[in-house]
Amino acid sequence: MRIIFGIIITAMFANVNILSQSFFGLNGYWGLSSNFNTPLYSYEGNTSNYSHVRDWGFSFIYGVEFAKSTNSNIYSISLSKTLGNHNLSARFTPGYQKEFIFNTGESFVVEDSTSQSLTASVNYKELFGLGYSYKFSEDFSVGTTFRFFTQDFFQEFVTPVFEDTSIIFLRETESEKVKFWKGDLGVSYILNENLTFVFASINLLNFGVKADNSDFKDLELRREVGGMIGVNYIPIDAAAINFIYETTGSYQVALNGYAGDLGFGMTLFHDKYQEPEMAGMIPTISYKGKIFELFVSGVKYFSNRKKDFGVSEFVENGINNVLNNPYSFDKILLTVSFNINTARERTVKLIDVEIVKDIYPTFSENYVEYPFAYGTIVNLTDDYLTVKPMARIEGVNEENIQSPVSTIAPHDTVQVPFYIIIPESYSSEKVELSYANFYLFTIADQPDDQFQKAVLVNSINSWDGRVSNLRYFIKKDLDFSMSHSKAVLSSNKTVLDTLPIALENFYKAKILFNEYVANLVYISDPRATGEYVQFPHQTFELKGGDCDDLSVGYSSLLESVGIQTALVDYKENGKVRHVNLLFNTKLSPNQAKLLTNNDTKYFIRENVDGKDEIWLPVEVTSLTDFETAWKLGAEKFNKEAISELGIAKGKVNIVDIY
Amino acid sequence: MKILLIILMFAGGLSAQTFTVEKVSGDVKYQNGSSETWLTLKVGTALKDDAVISTGKNSSVLLKGNDVNFNLNESSAVSVSNIKKMNIDELLLALAMEDIMNAPKEIRNSSDNTAVYGTKEGESTLQIITDDFGIKRLNGAVQLAENSLEESAVVAAKETYRKYPDTKKLPAYRIYFANILNDKGLYEEALDEYVDIQNLKLTDEERTEINTKTESIKMKLLSE
Repeated sequence: MRIIFGIIITAMFANVNILSQSFFGLNGYWGLSSNFNTPLYSYEGNTSNYSHVRDWGFSFIYGVEFAKSTNSNIYSISLSKTLGNHNLSARFTPGYQKEFIFNTGESFVVEDSTSQSLTASVNYKELFGLGYSYKFSEDFSVGTTFRFFTQDFFQEFVTPVFEDTSIIFLRETESEKVKFWKGDLGVSYILNENLTFVFASINLLNFGVKADNSDFKDLELRREVGGMIGVNYIPIDAAAINFIYETTGSYQVALNGYAGDLGFGMTLFHDKYQEPEMAGMIPTISYKGKIFELFVSGVKYFSNRKKDFGVSEFVENGINNVLNNPYSFDKILLTVSFNINTARERTVKLIDVEIVKDIYPTFSENYVEYPFAYGTIVNLTDDYLTVKPMARIEGVNEENIQSPVSTIAPHDTVQVPFYIIIPESYSSEKVELSYANFYLFTIADQPDDQFQKAVLVNSINSWDGRVSNLRYFIKKDLDFSMSHSKAVLSSNKTVLDTLPIALENFYKAKILFNEYVANLVYISDPRATGEYVQFPHQTFELKGGDCDDLSVGYSSLLESVGIQTALVDYKENGKVRHVNLLFNTKLSPNQAKLLTNNDTKYFIRENVDGKDEIWLPVEVTSLTDFETAWKLGAEKFNKEAISELGIAKGKVNIVDIY
Repeated sequence: MKILLIILMFAGGLSAQTFTVEKVSGDVKYQNGSSETWLTLKVGTALKDDAVISTGKNSSVLLKGNDVNFNLNESSAVSVSNIKKMNIDELLLALAMEDIMNAPKEIRNSSDNTAVYGTKEGESTLQIITDDFGIKRLNGAVQLAENSLEESAVVAAKETYRKYPDTKKLPAYRIYFANILNDKGLYEEALDEYVDIQNLKLTDEERTEINTKTESIKMKLLSE
């Protein structure tokens, strides 16, 4: 805007109070916790560069000033980008300028007898600015803004040139452009949902040069250092009260209201250099869409705007702000902002994950049936969400393993199970500390949230001491066992072919046992502190093992030829626990006489069809012959499981393999 | 629930006993542990807990233990481990074992093999002629009861029913041991037995007795 003072200046420019900074924003002051982001593009009211922008933000202010001429209707164009906890912003402000034109009071008469006056001018511009902030948390942010100013000084003067008979007056000009940067720091702190604070410096850092021309020095923008504090109080969800105080003595009071997507604001501002006490107001109506915000605001001054006045008054009052000063005029402004989220907004958060069991790779089926971890997740949206949990253990899984989908109510917190699959090919014989990665997916290909936690991955021979889990060692090596068993039984085909089919299981078990133990010795587990179980093929290779290994091996041989087995877990108090096994002869109780004359050597179990069948106990560690192993097994089972009521007391457990 | 509570409360143990043969009359044999051989029992023989005694016709044996004298009459068989005092809690535990022992009702993963051609896998084609050892076992159980070892008698009878299924079809024995359960106040267990016995071939007197006791137990259970 250009103002022409029709003033005769008798003295050149004196010391003028012109400050480059105040917290005057064209959309008024809305505080930090507003639902709107548009007011935060203002470096004036938001020195700390605090931002609600999640990815990209863009703002454009177009305005009309009620003045005779205007330099630019485009007040500012701003860009904001958030990267994690960092926010970067930049703005171009072609409308942030103020030009003053002075009549120097000097004039001269040219040859046609007309008089011409000499002029001078000064143009203050804030051209662009840069901002950066870092959110240490959702509640605490520190930032800085740097703004670039130029000051264009110009004046005309007359130089007399003396010749022999006359004096010639030459009309000359001189100008100077002075540039400088100013930087400030700001802190934003959200105490709670109802109260936030901002603190910022004024003219803290200045970089640039002073005017060389002594005539222009006193008209440079002053850069006195100061500070401000802002308070944003939200007594109810639908309203906020804001207050800003500057050390210059200027202050602003603002009241904001909200109704759905609409917002209403009224800011009253006091300027030290303007009259009356409340120099003006900024009423605002705003609307928030999904990706854009619209602000219509006005700046209304309560005093008549000064168009013509003496330079002495100008020098005495000065101006406090390029945009807002006694020579500013009423305005109407339209601001449009866009929030462009190329990064999808997070809808669900994984608060914590509890790993409930270490990984024993051989228990692969167990992890399909039972979760190895539980995640606590919260729905951050107002809608029901369908969440797909996934997990992957480094060094074990190549891909993410999906767990059952969960539906979560709005803002609800639930626990979801995480399952894992151990690949058949996993064969590490080392115990390793690895990491489990947990992911939550909603609709996108990218996870909404993820979590990492250390998990112990045991070796394939590791065992947790639960006899029920020995079944996995039996099942995993069935191919080897089947091959071995068939080879042994084939070599005894002549014997088996002559036997009644009802006795097939009994004799197969007997033949396999006698062949099994022929070359084995009992070797106690050397890994006393950590349970270690051999797969059947390893027991053959090593030619021995402890009770777990031997029972697993024999059970696997029987199961591989269709003979049902069960491990018997003897939990002897204070002693080393022991494992042997039972196998199903498939004989009915009435057929017991085919096996034995001693009715204490067999036991009756009802099968899944409700029929009673004869099961025989075998003490595999006897490593002598089948009859002895059966005898020892029966005596132990009779004593500890039956007579001492071990089964009923839980001291003896029967663990069926299938 | 009752059984579970008892499992939690039960802390004691059943001590093994050694018996000495005081008197032998006629044909009395015994088996030690898992031996397949029956040996002739003589006076003064020390019998361990895992022994089984069997008497022939017109035979008997008198055993003496630490605090028990036990006389086993003719045509009977008893495990020495059954000659012991049990309380009601121990009896309930023993009865519960029958279910615990059974194979799982849901097989997780079938491991059935292909049946041999022309036969059905597991089909019992071999006919067995059962001897009277099951009845001897029941006779032994009766004598346990007559020697005031009723709880042990029921346990022995129940085991006999499983190992010698034909004995389960004998109403007189079934009623005898069901009555013990009833007399001990184990009404639910007794009722299960009576209901099962009703499916057997009964005399009029037996059926009347069963019906009467069944109704009586139902009334008691309803009033609880």
